[in-house]
Amino acid sequence: MKVFIAGKGVISAIGNNVAENLASLRNLQTGVSKITVLPTRYAETIPAAEVKLSNEELAQRCGLNSGEPRTAFLSSLAAKEAVDDANIPNFKKWRTGFISANTVGAMDKTETIYKYYLEDSNTDKLIEEDPYDAGYVTELVANQLGIKDHITTISTACSSSTNAMAYGARLIKANQLDIVVAGGCDAMSKFTLNGFNSLMILDTNPCTPYDENRKGLNLGEGAGYVVLVSEKVAATLTKKPTTFLSGYANANDAFHQTASSPEGKGNFMAMQGALEMSELTTKDIDYINLHGTGTSNNDLSEGVAIQRIFGDVPKVSSTKPYTGHTLGACAGIEAVYSILSIENNIIFPNLRFQNKMKELEFSPVTELLENVEVNHVMSNSFGFGGNCSSVIFSKHQ
Amino acid sequence: MSNQKENKTVFKAPFGGLGAGLFINGIGCISPQRTFDNSEFLAEVKEYNTNRLTCVDADYTKFFDAGSIRRMGRLMKYGTAAGMIALRDAGLEVPGAISTGTALGLPEVSQKFLKSLIEVDETIVSPTTFIQSTHNTVSSNIALLCKCFSHNNTFSHKGFSFESALTDAQLLVLENMNNILVGAYDEVSDYKYAAMKKTKELRGEPCNNLDIYGEKGNGVIAGEGAAFFVLAKEKTENTYGSFVGNKTFYKPESTEEIRNHILSFLKENNSSLEDIDVVITGISGAKETDATRIDLNKNLFTTQTIIAYKHLCGEYMTSSAFAFWLASKMMKSQQIPDSVILENRNRSPKNILLYNSHKHNHSLMLFKAC
Repeated sequence: MKVFIAGKGVISAIGNNVAENLASLRNLQTGVSKITVLPTRYAETIPAAEVKLSNEELAQRCGLNSGEPRTAFLSSLAAKEAVDDANIPNFKKWRTGFISANTVGAMDKTETIYKYYLEDSNTDKLIEEDPYDAGYVTELVANQLGIKDHITTISTACSSSTNAMAYGARLIKANQLDIVVAGGCDAMSKFTLNGFNSLMILDTNPCTPYDENRKGLNLGEGAGYVVLVSEKVAATLTKKPTTFLSGYANANDAFHQTASSPEGKGNFMAMQGALEMSELTTKDIDYINLHGTGTSNNDLSEGVAIQRIFGDVPKVSSTKPYTGHTLGACAGIEAVYSILSIENNIIFPNLRFQNKMKELEFSPVTELLENVEVNHVMSNSFGFGGNCSSVIFSKHQ
Repeated sequence: MSNQKENKTVFKAPFGGLGAGLFINGIGCISPQRTFDNSEFLAEVKEYNTNRLTCVDADYTKFFDAGSIRRMGRLMKYGTAAGMIALRDAGLEVPGAISTGTALGLPEVSQKFLKSLIEVDETIVSPTTFIQSTHNTVSSNIALLCKCFSHNNTFSHKGFSFESALTDAQLLVLENMNNILVGAYDEVSDYKYAAMKKTKELRGEPCNNLDIYGEKGNGVIAGEGAAFFVLAKEKTENTYGSFVGNKTFYKPESTEEIRNHILSFLKENNSSLEDIDVVITGISGAKETDATRIDLNKNLFTTQTIIAYKHLCGEYMTSSAFAFWLASKMMKSQQIPDSVILENRNRSPKNILLYNSHKHNHSLMLFKAC
């Protein structure tokens, strides 16, 4: 039973939809810049990859109330683009799910309210939603999409949206649902900016993943979704699916709460598991979209694990120099990029890369590669808590 | 994680239509009652004269070293310990996989971080609380402690959080995994408590947790807890009963629709209302939402013994995990404690149906004693 990708949608610092993202990827246009939207004391000193639209502009575009969390606006725009792109005849007649991921829920909205709460625990500004209510954002968007049959939210740190796609695919394979809109979203918040800053893993310049002299990550925001469909639904589509989800796996590094094991045990198991499910060999993978955050620890663990599995490492790159690390959204956004890679026979460069890491025998792609045959793309995402997930997208001939 | 081709189990489908179900082979529960000791079953019910119930702590030195106990937040301690109790109860060192649900993650510890960054206006904050702030902290902490490298998932969706973890566990078994540690955990933070007060969701004080279902007063009492279970394909000497299946539904428009969901859920699981001995209802003390539950109790569940549980653990979004624990204990002991009976029809707890809801999230679970 194949699970096809019928549609995709994305919003990130490099574009408000799929076409704009693809154009920026091709034009080597980074989204990392000075912070202009999030009100923070680090606006001038720590760069990030923000969606360059205010909350009011986003709310107007997606039709939600401008007082709602920014995360919901991003989610709504990308999820709706994905559903429109899929253009499924009789959408309502199928059993449909919305499986979304995020890591800090309504934080961008509630961290403001929390300030008033600290001054007065009985403030009129108190709302029902907790800062960490991840499901709140999902329900706002599910309501807009008119999806009711199965709604849930996954929050496994930076691997969240891979797990959302995998869970959706498993529900389709088990014949529980016919269509699943799956992916993730996250908006910038002071909470995450200060959190990563306190861990001293933010680069104060645009990030350089997999570089020997990498200094850390840049945070970003956005959302990315795919529409997963069963074979039965795929047969009814006017636009033939270009790709299918051929493998996925979720493993745990069980090493440390926030750091990866030096040998990348969890990373290895996730990639291995995805390969096994897809029944592909390492030689079949044409491109790996790396987790590649730019931190010393992540890139080393991931790189060592890739080397161990692949030996002869295929073309690899991190697209985070374009989008920043979008946390709960990153695997959703990178899923869209992986599919674009297959559809357009194109491989995106790892911007700003200069020096090969001394521990690794390979280095990432540094120039845009066009007219290369791309049939299978692996996309990695690893997070706090040792959560490691990999997914493989394959061309549907 | 999976091997779809070798699917030979009796297990069929997560949302119903399943035959034998999964065996509950280990349980662990830490709640506002003394529930951490599996050799007891609500021998004494704890009475609270407040609208906020907090967990009765277990002896954490049995699970963690002194340094860890100091560093860990409250929920991290009782959430992780509940998972370890379930594993030990099942006699397992490492589960096949871990899947958990938490509506709000670790609010106390994350708000400590939020508070500090607001107070110092983003200047210098310590990463200690940030590190523990992700929703998957408890689930991954258990993996870390028992060295479980397998599938590890955390669902964070309001009143569907635990339910999604259960579905995940069932899918894993379908994919040929076994001994899945599944659970849920939430805590009532000061902020949540203040918000519940402000939005009038909370019952006014003075109030008594043992008297919330009557005419007197309106509103829920805030609660919290953690409950974990080992779900497996095979029965063991320690088996509590079987978890047959579950179903969630979103935003039903009428009591009639809820009724139809209940009846079709039972049918999908080759059961019927006549087979059900005990109904665990999610009645909470909030008049408006209880109206539907009372209607169903009066007009649909006319021959079943009806029991309630939110006076024991309070209202929170993953309270259905406490109800799962209650069902497990009743099945194994074949006893229904007086303290949970709302309507006694003298039925022994063989087939148990749970119907709970939180706002727009409605859930059904079916259990069968072995």
